[in-house]
Amino acid sequence: MSLPKRIIKETERLVADPAPGITATPHDDNLRYFDVTIQGPDGSPFQNGVFRLELFLPEEYPMAPPKVRFLTKIYHPNIDKLGRICLDILKDKWSPALQIRTVLLSIQALLSAPNPDDPLATDVAKHYKENEKDAQRVSREWTEKYASA
Amino acid sequence: MKVKIKKWHAIAQWRWDTGHNDPDDDGEGDVCGICRVPFEGCCPTCKMPGEDCPLIWGECTHVFHMHCLLQWIGTASSKQQCPMDRRPWVTAERKVDANNPR
Repeated sequence: MSLPKRIIKETERLVADPAPGITATPHDDNLRYFDVTIQGPDGSPFQNGVFRLELFLPEEYPMAPPKVRFLTKIYHPNIDKLGRICLDILKDKWSPALQIRTVLLSIQALLSAPNPDDPLATDVAKHYKENEKDAQRVSREWTEKYASA
Repeated sequence: MKVKIKKWHAIAQWRWDTGHNDPDDDGEGDVCGICRVPFEGCCPTCKMPGEDCPLIWGECTHVFHMHCLLQWIGTASSKQQCPMDRRPWVTAERKVDANNPR
């Protein structure tokens, strides 16, 4: 199957006019597979970290959401050990009006606003709920250890 | 003076009247929010723009290529909601902006 025009347009814009703190580069041999980096937002425990992710556009895209996963280890209540992300727009709140850019901006926003009430990593969520300061300290440590540029 | 017309070429241009013809729009033009191709183009499954690849209007005022919208509504994950505002999709009669009567 040839690449839909929409994916070509999105890719061109991602490369020519990237969102602040976000890069997305398609693989030469598979234009549906992107290497992504997201900078930890200022003021969050992930500040100064650069997180690597992989993003894959399934055949059904944009009728189905992109598949996105963290490759860099991260201590966050909505991201599990395997890098899987608990974010509604990647699941039941997907809409074809969303794009790669908006998905990545939402993930960046999730780093600023962890949601321990809708956890994926239950132990991290528990930590965040019981002692937020200490949990943030661990998040900062992991950022320094695994996500320094 | 007498002018004699020997030959003439007629040139016509068409576009869909989406009711969203804002003269101050961002210059990107009107594109389908699903496939991102201009309304005057056609959906990814069609070859020729025009009546065979029409637009569809929702009561919510959002416009799409009909084929794009029907494909989305046909998926279980759409929950029959408009891609723009997640309200239940209700197909409208073709809308024309009341401020710009033709």
